[in-house]
Amino acid sequence: MRGTIVAIAIVLTAAALASAGCGRQAVRAAEKEFLADQVMVFDDDPHEASSDDHIRANREGAAGGHGAGGGGCGCN
Amino acid sequence: MRLQLAAGWPTAAIGVGLGLGVVLVLWLGAAPAAFADDRAEVSTSLFAEKRDGSKGGLTVIHPQADLGVDLGRFVTLDAAYAADAVSGATSVIYQVDAISSATTFSDIRHEGTLGLGFHGRRSRVSFSATVGTERDYLSRQIGGTASIDLPGRNTTIGLAYSHSFDQVCDKDNGTLSPQEAKALTGADPCDKSNGIFGKDRPGTTLWRDLSIDTAQATLTQNLSPTMNLQIAGYGQVLQGFQSNPYRRVRVGQNSPQEHIPATRDRLSISARLNRFLPKLHAAVHFDARFYDDTWRVVGGDVELAYSQYVGKSLLLKLHARVYQQAAAKFFKDAFYYQTLSTAGEYFTGDRELSPVRNATVGGKLTLITVGGDKPVWGLFDKLQLNAKADVLLLDVIAADNLADNPMGIDKQFIYGNSLIDAVILQLGLTGTY
Repeated sequence: MRGTIVAIAIVLTAAALASAGCGRQAVRAAEKEFLADQVMVFDDDPHEASSDDHIRANREGAAGGHGAGGGGCGCN
Repeated sequence: MRLQLAAGWPTAAIGVGLGLGVVLVLWLGAAPAAFADDRAEVSTSLFAEKRDGSKGGLTVIHPQADLGVDLGRFVTLDAAYAADAVSGATSVIYQVDAISSATTFSDIRHEGTLGLGFHGRRSRVSFSATVGTERDYLSRQIGGTASIDLPGRNTTIGLAYSHSFDQVCDKDNGTLSPQEAKALTGADPCDKSNGIFGKDRPGTTLWRDLSIDTAQATLTQNLSPTMNLQIAGYGQVLQGFQSNPYRRVRVGQNSPQEHIPATRDRLSISARLNRFLPKLHAAVHFDARFYDDTWRVVGGDVELAYSQYVGKSLLLKLHARVYQQAAAKFFKDAFYYQTLSTAGEYFTGDRELSPVRNATVGGKLTLITVGGDKPVWGLFDKLQLNAKADVLLLDVIAADNLADNPMGIDKQFIYGNSLIDAVILQLGLTGTY
């Protein structure tokens, strides 16, 4: 099972890095209007995210690992 | 939360929450003019879980307050407070007829965090320290995060690490074997020094250490003008006492304290995707996660959500999530611990280690008020009021062969038996000024 995780992680990371390689020109600064919207920001509401994590950590064994807040928008 | 205290906390918790709000508003009112991205947030969550009849249930009130202020152009200072006021009933002993031995309990936990952040044009570094205290559990955590936007500002790489020095109050069982160890009770004293350090009382209670190292790497990528993606890898190593000191497990004719391994390594990976729909002024969100650990708990979840603006000041978000996990390798249905001549090296009644699948459906309404020439309430550039409601549905799964278990799993008291297991309500206020 650990092998499966590593394999999935490698595939996802490779896909992300590949997209990152194209990313320099993928979205120009002038095209980031929608990416800057609060609905496009991961964990835009930190209290909601921490509350959800808190509840899940007390109910589920597979807690943690939901990524981090913020976004790659680069709008600010 | 592992407490058994006297009743009376709900009023205290609500008081704390309201008090925090008042103090925050007064503080903000007295504060000098600040930079535009200073932020204040207060919220309170209510979690209500139902179990069978009048013998079960769990209620948690969780107030939170955060304040972030700029100290010059490159430095931010953050302070946060959170509390948990818990009350409910749980089984004294994990056994085939645990409902008959349900007992009530209540507890309150306080947690404070201070953080310092430094940010440049494309990078951010932050450090934080957190202290959490309750009657029988102490937590002291330090951590740091770093992130950088790669050239083009379409890719962000983030790293985070934290170390937690926790202590758990436990019965001093001397040289007794795990099969003989007695569980902690609510009447046992859990002494502290300076409020945040455990103080042993030899022969009665002692504090057991638990160290937790957590690391996370995150990559966030803009894929198009309307779509972004986040991939995260997460690892955690727990070393030390991880049992619930109060929980007992019926093993044959005995009921020793729960006994589980001292080391646990956890790994998970997740992927999240947002897609904005300009014509609808809406967005769809997708989230998937896979998890595995050295106790062989394997799980995962998938979540779908939809956000819709209604006019300029109302945002509605609907979401649905399904989750499933397999049992830890040493977890057994209560019947098997109770009837087998030996339960094995480890025995537990922890529902987090049982097999289960659940679903969450809910919605969130956000009222957004943006100040133009005139600040909102004379103070805020932007103010948001959030109201959220979730319903948790549950399907308990047998860990062992149900055909050979004449007692079934309905009375183990790990979860309730109704389809709707719990309700979560959250109310929050966020202001930037």
